[in-house]
Amino acid sequence: MAIVSAVLPEELQLATTAHVKYIQSLDSRKDEYDYWLTEHLRLNGLYWGLTTLHLLGHPDALPRAETVDFVLSCQHDSGGFGAAPGHDAHMLSTVSAVQILAMIDAFDELDTRGKGKAQVGKYIANLQNRETGTFAGDEWGEEDTRFLYGAFNALSLLGLLNLVDVDKAVNHIAACANFDGGYGVSPGAESHAGQIFTCVAALTIAGRQNLVDKERLGRWLSERQIAGGGLNGRPEKKEDVCYSWWVLSSLEMIGKTHWIDRDQLVAFILRCQDPERGGISDRPGDMVDVWHTVFGIAGLSLLQYPGLQPVDEVYCMPKSATARVLGR
Amino acid sequence: MADQGGSQHGIARTSRVRTEEQKNRDLERIARYHELEDQVRARVAQGDYSSAVFQLTSKLLRLNPEYYTIWNVRRRCLISGSFSKPSAGSSCSTACLTSSPTATTAPSSISCLSSSSATTPPAPGLPTAGKSGTTADPTVAAAAEPPGAIESAPSEAESHDFTTLKSELAFTIPLLLESPKCYWIWSYRLWILQQAIARLRPALARTVWEEELGLASKMLGKDRRNFHAWGYRRHVVGQLESRSLQGSSMVEAEFAYTDRMIKSDLSNFSAWHSRSRLIPRLLEERAADEAARRAFLDKEFQQIREALNVGPEDQSLWYYHQFLVLNLVYPDKHPAMTPGFTVHDRVAYLKREIDEIKELLEDYADIQLIYEGLFEYTLYLCQLERRNPKADERADLVEWLAKLKQLDPMRRGRWADLEREHELTAGGSDV
Repeated sequence: MAIVSAVLPEELQLATTAHVKYIQSLDSRKDEYDYWLTEHLRLNGLYWGLTTLHLLGHPDALPRAETVDFVLSCQHDSGGFGAAPGHDAHMLSTVSAVQILAMIDAFDELDTRGKGKAQVGKYIANLQNRETGTFAGDEWGEEDTRFLYGAFNALSLLGLLNLVDVDKAVNHIAACANFDGGYGVSPGAESHAGQIFTCVAALTIAGRQNLVDKERLGRWLSERQIAGGGLNGRPEKKEDVCYSWWVLSSLEMIGKTHWIDRDQLVAFILRCQDPERGGISDRPGDMVDVWHTVFGIAGLSLLQYPGLQPVDEVYCMPKSATARVLGR
Repeated sequence: MADQGGSQHGIARTSRVRTEEQKNRDLERIARYHELEDQVRARVAQGDYSSAVFQLTSKLLRLNPEYYTIWNVRRRCLISGSFSKPSAGSSCSTACLTSSPTATTAPSSISCLSSSSATTPPAPGLPTAGKSGTTADPTVAAAAEPPGAIESAPSEAESHDFTTLKSELAFTIPLLLESPKCYWIWSYRLWILQQAIARLRPALARTVWEEELGLASKMLGKDRRNFHAWGYRRHVVGQLESRSLQGSSMVEAEFAYTDRMIKSDLSNFSAWHSRSRLIPRLLEERAADEAARRAFLDKEFQQIREALNVGPEDQSLWYYHQFLVLNLVYPDKHPAMTPGFTVHDRVAYLKREIDEIKELLEDYADIQLIYEGLFEYTLYLCQLERRNPKADERADLVEWLAKLKQLDPMRRGRWADLEREHELTAGGSDV
């Protein structure tokens, strides 16, 4: 893919320096109202930002000690993490915390200064619905295949997948499959690219990819690419940079990334970046945010854009980190 | 993680430089927001889940409905204060208490209810019989209990809880209309509805749940593809059908709903999908015999063919057509519509579909989905007859694949794989 940088005009070059600065600036916006309105996503945001920096080859652009301190300050006695200090524990922020600590090699600090790996594992395992195998987001009971994937992601990184009933969870995912090869948020729900990522990645972690109808799913996923090169998340919907991750990572997991046009998708993602001030948006010309930035960069990494660190398609973390943590 | 809250979708990129005035306005809003937040946090830290805290959550959630912790505080206020305590002989189930979190150690028993009506807006938007729009939904009427089904008068505790729950449902409506894709509002609403099952007698709880179909229809009227609303609808129907709400099947009504949604927008794949999931149950409950199932499949094929005639470029239609064809090709996975079919029947149906699609080519020569359909279904035909493609079929496959490469170069990697897999390279081995 070295040809990409040679062929694309200058405005379609990745603005790495601007993106690094953009991520670094995210926590200096405390005089903006939106900064506070999005506090419920703070830990997720840190994971998105840190992953972006790692993939851009600037893993030290956020200070490690402060990162560890902040993450540990979000932990509850239950072992779960809230989005920020003062926020209730939730699966989504707990998974982000584990991913961050895994990326910066800080599980030791979790054991010595936090509540410990085992307690985190216990918190997550307690959210499994032992009847159906799926997982809730927190004690209030909302269930979704996002939470099931999150549980598998974090528990496997912690080496604690044995705490849950993997077979039952796998059966639940199988029940979420649709005739088109895709998966929905729960049994009966329409196939959705984001949910397909969570289900296929969870099956991959469980070593049960044999349940995926790869031909049919690959076809459906490849048909998400529409004129202009971007990917949508469902039939007859608009394209959006975040699907560069959900669709592409799923294609990668089933070995069919070559079923879409890589160069056109690269160009689409790069058209969505703000080359001066950094960051990536959902579509060209829209406001950037850290969510679309990480999934745009991770997509580019899967597309082997030059200069980026390889991303793990199952965990959305640098491969170097998952290899170290999982002992691959 | 797949949580899109807080991300910027579809907002035009503008200069991030704010004027002094904008900065000051932001600072004022931040100060007001923090003041509210600080008050809630300070009181919660004291274990205070009183009506005062409840009212603060209303204010804060109107500013920020994504603030999930505040929704949780609100739940704890209801559990520790507003809801009546189950008493001996109460008809309310106590399941609500055993299933609720143990985190509430709040000493407060002050009722939020009497004061909550002052802070929550009067129930807007909720559908009521006779109003236009949402109650056009016949599923509501079909499922409604006759008046008088709730025979004995409700206890004071029950009507208290009923009012509290209705007030909570009303509170979320304007928030949902403003943020229709906010997971936290939908899940709070479902939690409230779950409380209705736990705290009210089934007939009364049912009246609460029945209104939710109107809400789902209203939200789908505003955005036909909103998967939160479709999921909500599925969940509501599932509960209305369940024993805990003295329900019975609504599959006919829901199937009719997909009819209406498809008629108003053929491209609504969410509705086609829903249809694909309802059909097996629908036929089961109709106790349809083989002939009825065959007639049903005929009608479905006819409907989708007519749709393809006007919109052959529409993926939604082709996906549904595929679903029907899978019923012919994989009866073990999709047994609903073709139980009495012999292989001969399956072949005949598939041939007819292939011929019909070929006719589409007369009007539309440059639509890749047509060639994709022909290619896929011809291979299915060979599969059903347990043979390789005949010479003329092979020539067709080669030609269609060439068209696909030409019309749809984005997916050339897939066409190349298919070419290799089925040995279709020009001049390749003959079968």
